[in-house]
Amino acid sequence: MSTDVSRPLKITIAGVRGVVGETLTPDLLVNFSQAFGTWTGAGRVLVSRDTRPSGVMVAPCVCSGLTAAGCEVVDLGVCPTAALQLAVRSSDAVGGIAITAGHNDASWNALKFFREDGIYLNPKQAEELLNVYHQKEFAKARWDELRPVGRDDDAGRRHLEAVLAQLDVEAIGAAGLKIAVDCANGACSEFTPAFLERLGCEVVAINDDPELPFPHEPRPTPPNLSQLRALVRAAGADAGFAHDADGDRLGVVTEEGEAPGEEYTLCLGAEMVLGRGDPGPVVTNLSTTMAVDDVARKYGREVIRTGIGQVFIAESAVNYAAAIAGEGSGGIVFPKINYAHDSIAALGHIVALMAERGQPLSALIADIPRYTIVKREVVCPPQRAYSVLEELRRGLEAPWADEINLDDGVKLIGEDRWVHIRVSLTEPRIRVIAEADARGLAMDLADEYVRRTERLL
Amino acid sequence: MSGIQSLKIGVSGVRGIVGQSLTPQLVVGFAEAFGTYLDGGVVVIGRDPRPSGEMIRDALIGGLLSTGCSVIDVGVCPTPTMQHAVVDLGADGGIGITASHHPAGWNALKFCREDGVFLNEHQAEELLSVYHQGAFVLRGSDELGRVGRDEGAINRHLTKVLMSVDREAIAALAPRVVVDSVNGAGADCAEGLLQKMGCDVVAINDVPTGHFPRDPEPIPENLGQLCAAVLQYGADIGFGQDADGDRLSVVSAEGVAIGEEFTLAFAADVMAERGPGTLVTNLSTSRMIDEVAERHGCTVMRSRVGEVNVAETMMAEGAIGGGEGNGGVIDPKLHHCRDNLAAMALILQGMARRRVSVAEWAASFRPSAIIKDRVPCRAGHTQRAVLALQRHYEGREMDRTEGVKVFFEDGAWLHARPSNTEPIIRVIAEADDSPTARELCDEAMRVVAEAVA
Repeated sequence: MSTDVSRPLKITIAGVRGVVGETLTPDLLVNFSQAFGTWTGAGRVLVSRDTRPSGVMVAPCVCSGLTAAGCEVVDLGVCPTAALQLAVRSSDAVGGIAITAGHNDASWNALKFFREDGIYLNPKQAEELLNVYHQKEFAKARWDELRPVGRDDDAGRRHLEAVLAQLDVEAIGAAGLKIAVDCANGACSEFTPAFLERLGCEVVAINDDPELPFPHEPRPTPPNLSQLRALVRAAGADAGFAHDADGDRLGVVTEEGEAPGEEYTLCLGAEMVLGRGDPGPVVTNLSTTMAVDDVARKYGREVIRTGIGQVFIAESAVNYAAAIAGEGSGGIVFPKINYAHDSIAALGHIVALMAERGQPLSALIADIPRYTIVKREVVCPPQRAYSVLEELRRGLEAPWADEINLDDGVKLIGEDRWVHIRVSLTEPRIRVIAEADARGLAMDLADEYVRRTERLL
Repeated sequence: MSGIQSLKIGVSGVRGIVGQSLTPQLVVGFAEAFGTYLDGGVVVIGRDPRPSGEMIRDALIGGLLSTGCSVIDVGVCPTPTMQHAVVDLGADGGIGITASHHPAGWNALKFCREDGVFLNEHQAEELLSVYHQGAFVLRGSDELGRVGRDEGAINRHLTKVLMSVDREAIAALAPRVVVDSVNGAGADCAEGLLQKMGCDVVAINDVPTGHFPRDPEPIPENLGQLCAAVLQYGADIGFGQDADGDRLSVVSAEGVAIGEEFTLAFAADVMAERGPGTLVTNLSTSRMIDEVAERHGCTVMRSRVGEVNVAETMMAEGAIGGGEGNGGVIDPKLHHCRDNLAAMALILQGMARRRVSVAEWAASFRPSAIIKDRVPCRAGHTQRAVLALQRHYEGREMDRTEGVKVFFEDGAWLHARPSNTEPIIRVIAEADDSPTARELCDEAMRVVAEAVA
């Protein structure tokens, strides 16, 4: 095949993602927005963006395409994606578009589409949208049906109030916690410091200027947390938290300045929510740590595992009436607030846990069984990705594995370890994630399956 | 008219019907082409208040930013205000979002260069080549332009007009003026200018909603409401604007719409006081400007039809005044753009200093009737039609600059030219009286009809 495999464009159920100036062109943006407006019908559609500079170019393209389709656009400006999702769900809007490439670097941007309940499009809906897009027979409003773009600058604040309503603000305030936060100059910059102050915390914020570029890759994984770790130590903070660019993933740093990994975000959130007695199971995806099972077991709860994708987590959270849902990337859903991955809510609940238990964060984490999770990836041309996985499935056998799950790629599950190989939704890569209770074992497992995958390429 | 047939992409810009042919995709494509053509830089955009203006503006901004251009949005304003802003802000180009005198369902893009004058034919061809080649230069996220707002463009424009006019004379006359802005872009600023000049202003259709209460072309048959208002309020003069403030028509105190040809005649009569010098208009404009030139010892040059052609001729000749017979006045002291604010100021100054009424001033010109008509003619047949006309009028004095212009006895003339924007031949004739002009038109239209049959 002559296709340029490095062309950075991904059109998937997670949305449309590309590099500005290469694949994410105004024409593509207008077409997708008009396709979305055609799919939703001529109702109200809310639009938000994160702080990456290209948002200023992308937003008018989106507004124009939606307006041309007859939608009434309300622009929420810069706010966390969770705030957009909440605003869509709690209004008569027929959908929403978030302009954010989440944790990708600033050269990328993306459109994420939400349906009227504020949840991502599921695969069937995404397929409908893609069919509209490809057919290019968009709804075109007559000139006198066009509606001006409205503004709503209050969605971010309403979202904070919705999170605060779920927390014991007094108890948290009484704990007198000092919290460091790294907003990556992203969409939470203007919200999280204020949120922590409302909780009565002493706040030390860095990278909280939405006008400035991302200080590091806006993915809250340990390699990007060195600045926050130093800050926690220097300021003597009780904890540090790191946001991604649009406020769906949260990274955690203990009072000792250690970054245990974003897998712990869900475990800590589950400790809080299950501990206070919210009913229902825990929903997570196939690639998330076994520690979630341990926490759930402690409270006698079931764990529901889904394929990878925020929509699967959110829909399962609805269907199973989950207490909490989320994934090992640090994105947590609190069903009492909204069916959105919400890093501000996650931060609030972990702070609440610290206040309630009166223990340092390191001790709370020490209570959670510690596994080593190794995340690797193999660059793979998108047109080969699924066939490589198919070939991989054929040669599978592992004496340690007593379960093979084929819901999303392939996952081999044993008593004390697992490995999950799947196609990335957002990048031209195959991801290999392995976890075991011993570090060497996890590394070996990941290495082995990376090698097997590479051999097939 | 179907969506496909309504689209016009040509040297005068891009025009179409919103919801049919003028799509955001098309606008994005032209924005990227223009940004590529300029190779970055600052672009000023302004719009008339049509409801589709915002959708188009958003698509324009997205396309321009992606090519590395920065955008300064001057918002809803007359097209000449945008053209002034291009110069004032030192921008590299400008885009007006307006279908000027076309109905509200239409919209269009008009491109101008760094001197605030529209692209000429050659430049427009270059832009179209970039558009058709489709190889737009798109920038990465660290090279994207920025968007700014400029709320001051209208005020700067007003100030320049006020500074250029004899305000004392106008204020002393304190005329009562009715202005009909067709709920277009010129609504607020026209009222503001007239008040600041000391006029007693009655504004009608003065809310810039873009919902036009009448056909926005300021020709007598569309100005019935204005004529009635002039009588009702006992006004000295009525001004009828188009949707984007670049064409103006005058109504007399007697409530008579005297025709848009008088707008330039009056304004030129005032600008010519700066003479001796050159006045410039197009081939289709009334001979009244020749009378003006005679009065003031000026000469007249005629360009092909189109604002940019008049403007460029004026610039090349260092003209002291110019414009077009459709009601577009260009005051080179301010800018080489058609400008209703400048036109109103000049005309009121003329009335004030001469102490004449509109009717008296109009009567100072040799009686004249101008008839404007059209014959359907496919683009492929236009040359055949023009050649047939040249043969038909052989032996008469003729100007072949654009189509054919034929001169008759008693100063009568006939101009037939293919339209730039529609599949028609425009036929314009002027004579001492209407039946004569009508006859000249009919004869030419018969010749064309036979030639293309």
